[in-house]
Amino acid sequence: MRSGLRWRVLLVLSLAAVVPTVVVGVLAIMRARHDVENEVQRGALAHIRALGSSLDGTLQGTRRTIELAASQWADAPQDERETLLLLRRLRREVPIVKTVSILDPDGKLLYGDPVPPGVDIGSHSFGGYIGDAVFVGGGPTVHAVVQARGRTGELMGVVVAALDLGFVRDVIAAARLGPGARVIVVDGAGVPVATSDNSPLSAQSLAGHDPVVDHALASTVEGTLSENGWVSAYRNLSSYQSLRGVRWAIIHKQPETQAYALARSTTRDTAIIGIAALAIALALGAFFATKLTRPLEKLAERADAIAAGHAAEAPPISGPGEIGMLAQSVDEMAKRIAERAELAAALARGDRLASVGVMSAQVAHEINNPLTTVLGYAKLLLEDKPEGHPDHTALELIADEAERMKKIIGGLLEYARAPRNSEPVTQTATGTAAPGASEPSAVVKHVAALVAPQLRKARAKLVTDVQPGKPVSIEAHALQQVLVNLVQNAAQAMNDGGTIRVSAQPTAGGIATQISVSDDGPGIPPGDRARVFDPFFTTKAPGTGTGLGLAVCRHLVATAGGSIEVHDGPGGKGAEFRVIIPNATT
Amino acid sequence: MRIAALCLALAACGSERPAPTPIRFLHTFGADETELFNATMSERGIAVESSLVPFARGQQVISEILRAGNACPDLIRIDATWLPGFVAAKLLQPVPANLAQGDWLPEAVALASDENGLAALPQAVDGLVVIRDEAAPAPASASIEDLIAAAKATQHPGRPHPLGLRVDGYWLVPWLRAEGADLAVGRIDDAGAVRAVEKFAALFGELAPPPPPAGGEAPDELRRWTAHEIAYWVTGPWQVGALGDRERLAVTALARAPRGGQLLVVPACAKNPGEGWRLAGELTSVEVEGKFAEVFATVPTRQAALAAAPPLVHAIHDALAGTEMLPRSPLTPLLFDDLNPALAAVVNGDAKPDEVVDGVRRGWRRLEAQQHEARR
Repeated sequence: MRSGLRWRVLLVLSLAAVVPTVVVGVLAIMRARHDVENEVQRGALAHIRALGSSLDGTLQGTRRTIELAASQWADAPQDERETLLLLRRLRREVPIVKTVSILDPDGKLLYGDPVPPGVDIGSHSFGGYIGDAVFVGGGPTVHAVVQARGRTGELMGVVVAALDLGFVRDVIAAARLGPGARVIVVDGAGVPVATSDNSPLSAQSLAGHDPVVDHALASTVEGTLSENGWVSAYRNLSSYQSLRGVRWAIIHKQPETQAYALARSTTRDTAIIGIAALAIALALGAFFATKLTRPLEKLAERADAIAAGHAAEAPPISGPGEIGMLAQSVDEMAKRIAERAELAAALARGDRLASVGVMSAQVAHEINNPLTTVLGYAKLLLEDKPEGHPDHTALELIADEAERMKKIIGGLLEYARAPRNSEPVTQTATGTAAPGASEPSAVVKHVAALVAPQLRKARAKLVTDVQPGKPVSIEAHALQQVLVNLVQNAAQAMNDGGTIRVSAQPTAGGIATQISVSDDGPGIPPGDRARVFDPFFTTKAPGTGTGLGLAVCRHLVATAGGSIEVHDGPGGKGAEFRVIIPNATT
Repeated sequence: MRIAALCLALAACGSERPAPTPIRFLHTFGADETELFNATMSERGIAVESSLVPFARGQQVISEILRAGNACPDLIRIDATWLPGFVAAKLLQPVPANLAQGDWLPEAVALASDENGLAALPQAVDGLVVIRDEAAPAPASASIEDLIAAAKATQHPGRPHPLGLRVDGYWLVPWLRAEGADLAVGRIDDAGAVRAVEKFAALFGELAPPPPPAGGEAPDELRRWTAHEIAYWVTGPWQVGALGDRERLAVTALARAPRGGQLLVVPACAKNPGEGWRLAGELTSVEVEGKFAEVFATVPTRQAALAAAPPLVHAIHDALAGTEMLPRSPLTPLLFDDLNPALAAVVNGDAKPDEVVDGVRRGWRRLEAQQHEARR
């Protein structure tokens, strides 16, 4: 479940960034490809525009020359010599004129070359025009018909010139075409009159067989067509128009694979680069997602540990920005929970000890009375048995041991004694502490005064570092008893004197105060640390301690909801007792 | 089974219907008219594959197409003067009775009929009228003399040529008729024809602007009208669509001016004549004629459409009342081929009226002989 977060982040990254990037990228690639393809088609159109313009220019020039000749003839139609000279000049000056004829308005040949039979020159029509191609002598020829009107506008005849379409072939054959490209010129009936590859021509129309020819003949201007694996551009030749009003067309055809080769390679390269960039982006995204989610996963683990009661075990979590702040907050929360748990455990332990204390008090009370009797009688008998009496030594031993037993029972009673509410309220630095609470600095100051004579005797020095602070939730007399006990133990542990340090500071969570008592003595072996708080456990010489002092301390501290621990002293020398007591609630 | 049936039903729903075969239509509409036509057909869901035939060579181009037989259209919009030639050559299909029985205007029926009755569906009635600047006074009558007098009255240095006129045999017709001649073989060699040409040609440069280069007549006239250089413009309703400020227009009749019109015919070689007549019926419906009347001031051919037409259309219709049809002969449209250059020769000062009338007479006689020969 924890690792799922990383995948979810990756999924979100994919949805939020990768998918739009892919969609936009694909659209951009398609658009770019479309633009490049359009550019190819526009390029083809521009090409055939230039070729068409050249063809139109040649034909228009020829037509104007023929029109001038027709007008000149119409001014003097009867002058045969001038007419023949005119025709000769026309043939010479216009190279594409193969034959030239002058017919009367009824279509009868007056001068020049005979018009081939079957050629509809449309002499009855108004104005000049270019007819459809006819194949004479194997090559395509077209007849230009120009009316010859005299000065008065009267129709005197028509000039019919057969034009060699070799110039069309020459113009398109000289064109620099792309790979696989081909240019065709078709007449108004769809008959090819010239091709750029000089393929054999016939009078067979391409109309109905080649879609681009159909489009070209149906169009009045120009257009493009992408069909059947061919990219085509077509344009009408404005100067060429059949008798049926259909203009000739120039067509550029190129196989789609070759026409769009650049577009396709660009698309492929762009796609490859895009996929590579996307893969890198995804890898970076995964890396950053991992980096981003690792602190979160640790936080989750930490939360699990907190839930399992191991709040203090996990190391601190660090992370960037808000995650770092969250980690700090969780750490803080974990520490507080750990402290509370520890305090709660101590409280529970205190309850158990209290039960033991009650039982011990009852036992001690029951034993104390007969023991008092035993001790009393032993002392009476001793008075009757002076020294040297054979029983004196035995009676003295009975009295001593009974005395010792009373001390033990006194200690037990002390251990089991409930806190006394009659103790004076301790003054705090800022005022009076609430009932059931005490201010550590004031208590430490009082303790220092109490133990001063003993410390002098033991050549020990007490150093305190306790600043006025928050009150703690323990009766002042109880805290005093705990600290006196700890300071006396420390003094006894240092045979050759030394320094005892008492300090107080708030715990990490800020909900309790830790009071430390350390010494320069030999310390407590690690094996004994678990038992030093057990009743009747002592490391002192026999008869010098009851083994109840630290047990009483723990009892008092635990009763207040606190804890007491033993550690090595500062720098690993001596022992340090740490008393942690919850701060009093205001 | 249910799933299979559903799949079949979905597959059936998803399969495309075969696209209807478009109706092939050759027309002589202008650019704006073509746009309205296309939009109208799109609105009505009629698939039409239309091709524009240049009006100047329309008769020749259409004749060639119909004679060739291949690529034959289903419907053609023709000028009324071309009808006798197509009828004589038996290139057309008869009009279905259901379409013939419309509420056609009498003048529209006359345009579309031959001796056997309705030979085409009339789509528009036109002819020459005088479009007058509203600020200019109306001529005293429809006569040429009063038109010239009115134009002269508005002539001043800032408006040296207040009369809009074109060097074209069609525009010469009122002058011919005023002098007792007409656009017909046997009438053109009348002495009146010489006088008519003389008077007509004399107007250019004096009262009418000098003619622009061939082919530039319509834009030149429009420019002069827009610039208020022309106060009286002899032209047809086909020109009104291009004029923006119709509030400025007033329409006056020109006595004995030619009346023409546009007709719809279905050629004999049509592959889908029924579809052709269906399209003709749509184009002559009250709704479509009404739309053309509103946008282009086209005079409708149906009484219901005329009744709903704007006032300007009624004014044009009324002005056309005094016009007369051109002679109903196959030769008539061909006559202009000779008359136009002859007229231009006189206006340009290259020839005298009597010289060109002689040439025209010879040309027309020759045409008549050719036609006679062809009939034989």
